[in-house]
Amino acid sequence: MSSLKTRIAKLELETPLLTASGTFGFGDEYASLMNLEGLGGLVVKTITLLPRSGNPPPRLVETPAGMLNAIGLQNPGLQHFLEKELPLLQNLHIPLILSIAGETEEEYAALAEALEGCTGIAALELNLSCPNVKKGGILFGTDIVLLGSLVEKVRAHWTGTLIAKLTPNVTDVVHLAHAAARGGADVIAAINTIRGMVIDITKRRPLLGNRFGGLSGPAVRPVAVKIVYDLYEAIKLPIIGMGGIMNTNDALQFIMAGASAVAVGTGNFVEPRTIPQITAGLKEYMEKSGIKDLHELVGAAHES
Amino acid sequence: MKQCQALVQEINEVSSYFYCLTLEEPYLAQTAQPGQFLHLRVGNGIAPLLRRPFSVAGTSPATGTIRLLFRRVGAGTELLSCLRKGDWLDCLGPLGTPFSAVGKDPAVLLAGGAGVAPLLFLGESMLNAGKNVHLFYGAADAKALLPVDRFLSPGVLIHFATEDGSVGEHGNLSDVFKLALDKGLAPGELFACGPLPLLRVLANENRRWVLPMQVSLEENMACGVGACQGCAVLIKKDGETLYKRVCREGPVFNSSEVVW
Ligand SMILES: Cc1cc2nc3c(=O)[nH]c(=O)nc-3n(C[C@H](O)[C@H](O)[C@H](O)COP(=O)(O)OP(=O)(O)OC[C@H]3O[C@@H](n4cnc5c(N)ncnc54)[C@H](O)[C@@H]3O)c2cc1C
Ligand SMILES: Cc1cc2nc3c(=O)[nH]c(=O)nc-3n(C[C@H](O)[C@H](O)[C@H](O)COP(=O)(O)O)c2cc1C
Ligand code: FES
Repeated sequence: MSSLKTRIAKLELETPLLTASGTFGFGDEYASLMNLEGLGGLVVKTITLLPRSGNPPPRLVETPAGMLNAIGLQNPGLQHFLEKELPLLQNLHIPLILSIAGETEEEYAALAEALEGCTGIAALELNLSCPNVKKGGILFGTDIVLLGSLVEKVRAHWTGTLIAKLTPNVTDVVHLAHAAARGGADVIAAINTIRGMVIDITKRRPLLGNRFGGLSGPAVRPVAVKIVYDLYEAIKLPIIGMGGIMNTNDALQFIMAGASAVAVGTGNFVEPRTIPQITAGLKEYMEKSGIKDLHELVGAAHES
Repeated sequence: MKQCQALVQEINEVSSYFYCLTLEEPYLAQTAQPGQFLHLRVGNGIAPLLRRPFSVAGTSPATGTIRLLFRRVGAGTELLSCLRKGDWLDCLGPLGTPFSAVGKDPAVLLAGGAGVAPLLFLGESMLNAGKNVHLFYGAADAKALLPVDRFLSPGVLIHFATEDGSVGEHGNLSDVFKLALDKGLAPGELFACGPLPLLRVLANENRRWVLPMQVSLEENMACGVGACQGCAVLIKKDGETLYKRVCREGPVFNSSEVVW
């Protein structure tokens, strides 16, 4: 019997398949379409300290083999999450990973502090694709100093597993991963969306309400696989890989590039049962190839 | 709401670029309400990638069939138009919040272009509930006009409007409707669906008519089930403005609550 069990830092997962933040809500929308308990873990959409109303529409548009989104982190805020969403999520018998973001280091730290000790939260994921309003709007995830300092601040308030989710919109993701590791992150997740734009030629204006957005889906997959491959060579931390995973073969590419777990985002919109299908597909692949333990595949694409 | 594999029973081009698609899927046929939509996987590959939303244009619970009317405008609807009897179509549905009939008789349906689809379903169900129903239906010219009477039982009063005057009244839908009001039509409530500029004009005029008015809105969609927040429209309620999801709280909204 092949085992899909995997481990990312202290976190034991029954399968390596997670939901990508922001694409699966708080899970309830998909509950009638699949058995949520078959997920390796549920990464919920990013929450912030206070509610956020999000960006003006249109918020998304399809692009060749992908899509652009500019949701603007619409979410009901920490208080609502703790009162209304967390109690429901605690009843699910799968690891819950909470994605957080803020406009200042203090906001991230306050979130970590409020969540420390809450039962049922298996890990925190830092969404680093957010502008730091105190530093002129530069993204936390694009500056080594900002990123290192932010991870350190959160680390001081959060004793559980800490995931740093990197943005690919930088010259070299590896430097940023090192900064996250030095700050105390336990796991690296990659990639978040790649910035892009579509012009509405009839209006002669950017199509999205926010003007630009983040690209996801199969179009970004080769970029994401390369980043995971590079991270695996450069850092010791476990990696959660994502970007355009639609099927078992896509997931295998990320695992062989070095991911100990993978997340599905845009794929859920196309086929809500993508994760259950890949879970079955991975098992079949391993059994056919005589692989007993998923770890035999992690990083298999690298020469030893 | 479920994910279903529906069997294509019939598909035909009913007017230029307009297709009528009849699907066999008993669960959808028995549960879909007027105003709700299906989110369709139009291809098997990654182009087009996302599902496409289409309003339910009618159901026949007894035979377990459901009808969609769609206009071919791009790659997704092109693929749909190539379906053949016996093909399978992956559907999520029924999705969204339906129309609610609350007001007085007669109900007036205001449809522009492809917006007629959900209103045909609504008209039919109101007729069955014993209501008096008027349908004002506008298009650019005769070629673009659907033979709507084919999709409605006798009893709904149909008023056509074409911008070139080739069929029905000459002019755009809102002008033709205003003319009918001047001649004494006294609607109990309004239901509108169509291009945004038309809905804006109607919502604006309704500030004078002050009739209960529901509109069915469109926005680009990814998940279709409320998970991604991608289909937001600005709504005002109790002095506050906030974004609501077309796929969940919508597509039907009270016209007075939409920030036009
Ligand atoms: C809730 C809801 C219900 C809907 N119900 C129906 C329905 O019953 N019948 C129907 O025909 N359509 C309906 N639509 C619109 C339908 O979803 C789109 O027309 C379809 O997704 C277009 O897909 P495509 O791949 O063919 O075109 P795309 O490749 O996505 O677009 C091709 C071109 O068509 C234009 N286009 C896209 N959408 C529209 C549109 N709505 N009207 C005019 N031009 C457009 C684009 O700007 C682009 O230039 C509904 C939409 C929503 C949100
Ligand atoms: C509609 C949408 C919303 C997203 N929201 C978030 C979010 O709130 N937080 C976050 O960290 N990433 C968010 N992402 C990024 C995804 O989690 C993921 O990193 C990215 O989409 C790449 O994976 P994919 O190609 O499988 O979608 C979002 C992506 C999409 C498409
Ligand atoms: S399309 Fe995802 S929330 Fe409406």
